[in-house]
Amino acid sequence: MVEQVEKRIWERIFKWSGSAAGMAVIMTVVVAVAATLDRGGYVLVNTVVTGGMLALVAMGLALVFGVMNIPMFAHGEYFMIGSLTAYYVFTPINNYITMHPDSALTFIGPLITIVAAMIVGALVGVASEVLVFSQLRKRSRENWVMNSFLLTVGLSVVLINAHQLFFGADFKGITRYWAGPPITVMDVFISRDRAMSFALAAIVVVVFWFFMTYTRTGRAIRAVSQDENGALMVGIGLKGILLLTMSLSCSLAAIAGASLLFMYPAYPSVGLEPLYMAWFVVILAGLGNVLGAVMGAFMVALLKVLTIEYIGSGWDFVVPSALIIVVLIFKPSGIFGSEVRGILDK
Amino acid sequence: MLLEVKNLNAGYGFLQILRDVSLTVDTGEYVCLVGPNGAGKSTTLKTIAGLVSPMSGEILFKGEPIGGLPGNKVARKGIALVSEAMNLFVNMTVQENLAMGAYTIRDKRLQKDRLDFVFDLFPRLVERRNQLAGTMSGGERKMLAIGRGLMSNPTLLLVDEPSFGLAPLLTESVFQSLDTLIKQGMTIMVVEQNVTKTLSVTDRGYVLENGRIELSGKSSDLACDAHVRKVFLGV
Repeated sequence: MVEQVEKRIWERIFKWSGSAAGMAVIMTVVVAVAATLDRGGYVLVNTVVTGGMLALVAMGLALVFGVMNIPMFAHGEYFMIGSLTAYYVFTPINNYITMHPDSALTFIGPLITIVAAMIVGALVGVASEVLVFSQLRKRSRENWVMNSFLLTVGLSVVLINAHQLFFGADFKGITRYWAGPPITVMDVFISRDRAMSFALAAIVVVVFWFFMTYTRTGRAIRAVSQDENGALMVGIGLKGILLLTMSLSCSLAAIAGASLLFMYPAYPSVGLEPLYMAWFVVILAGLGNVLGAVMGAFMVALLKVLTIEYIGSGWDFVVPSALIIVVLIFKPSGIFGSEVRGILDK
Repeated sequence: MLLEVKNLNAGYGFLQILRDVSLTVDTGEYVCLVGPNGAGKSTTLKTIAGLVSPMSGEILFKGEPIGGLPGNKVARKGIALVSEAMNLFVNMTVQENLAMGAYTIRDKRLQKDRLDFVFDLFPRLVERRNQLAGTMSGGERKMLAIGRGLMSNPTLLLVDEPSFGLAPLLTESVFQSLDTLIKQGMTIMVVEQNVTKTLSVTDRGYVLENGRIELSGKSSDLACDAHVRKVFLGV
């Protein structure tokens, strides 16, 4: 009996490793290990830190696409709103810390900052759903994907320029969140900020996964993404779910923006790079596939780190883009397949 | 009267499908709505269930107007629709689909009762409980769709085309489970293209043609009606 179960598990693992998803994951791990052995541990560390944050942005993007059918191109601006909020919240905290280096705020201050950014992100998400997307939903049911896409591009331009108008175009950054000597892992020095930002990303991803899999509301979100009418038929209110989805995904992007403030200072178009990277991830993983996006984020991060390492830092957009073209030609539904049956079905 | 539809007009955009449809369903009745393709049978059910909003007319459920309410509110009042497309959550397992069916029920014990009830009615689903809904056969999916509808403990079950795309043997078993439900006191309104079969099992029927109710009466009378026999049965 036990042998049989064991055999079945092995069979499943074997089958999985033969599928596109399995091969891609195994290949990523192999390449990551090989590059680490070749160049040293910092390759792995950089991949993991970049991947963790990218996962947050990409997950939100996949969620909005899967549930609301919106190809979101304003997602980078929620990242920007996160970093902007973090700057204005952290600056006074930082001044206080400099005067009182022993206060508890040295540790908790950055966390407060990130939570504040998360809340602001969620509120802006709610605002954009209520003021923009639900208005479009009332008026246009046909050609929804195209119309909402154009709307998100417009929203992006408006938000970037609003930032420039009210807060100026200069770089608003900080030097560090957590003071103290870097942590050493595998002979690599990792700054505390990087280590913390990865830990935060990991926690958020795990919490999010639990929420989507085991809670009533999380399941309702998945139900809406799989069949809107089916969800209505079992009594799920669409309006609430759409509002929640939007605010969730915006707050994820804002968390990423806030946690990375020490690397990316807040300026009007800071969101563009994470936006493009997240789109790479989402296309690679399959549109609307939220968990695939997490894995995809680490793949794209690895690809980016390796490109910078072996080819040169100017190429880090070219190689992922080339890969996306290859994926779209040979496996248009993405490596991990997708929970969305194709945009045209809806 | 459990359900009263009065002079209902409905359709999609500018396209009007239903014209002055009036019908009633009493508690415990087994009512059918038959008619040729494109007559508006499915639209009638969807309008009652709140997936299509009516242009004019009244829909009363337990004496309360429900016309124009969104689908989720209608579902909460106790109307479950099993649509033709089934609208299952294809990337969830059978068990998860059934759990979603009980979304409106907060009480864990009641949920468990409903699940036992559905598994009792469709023992096939017990074997498949951990399978993804999208990977099941047409008959099993139909059972799952009906099962999911029953999970919310509805007062009125609307079933759209229970036999659509099923082999005769499976059709028979789906009809049998509907029969079992009727015997237990459920109220069912069924839409079908298989006119002979439907009229032989239901109590009362409506004939819908071009969006209008052309005939109504006891199913046994309808089955003998000259017009029905000419149009649907070809005799």
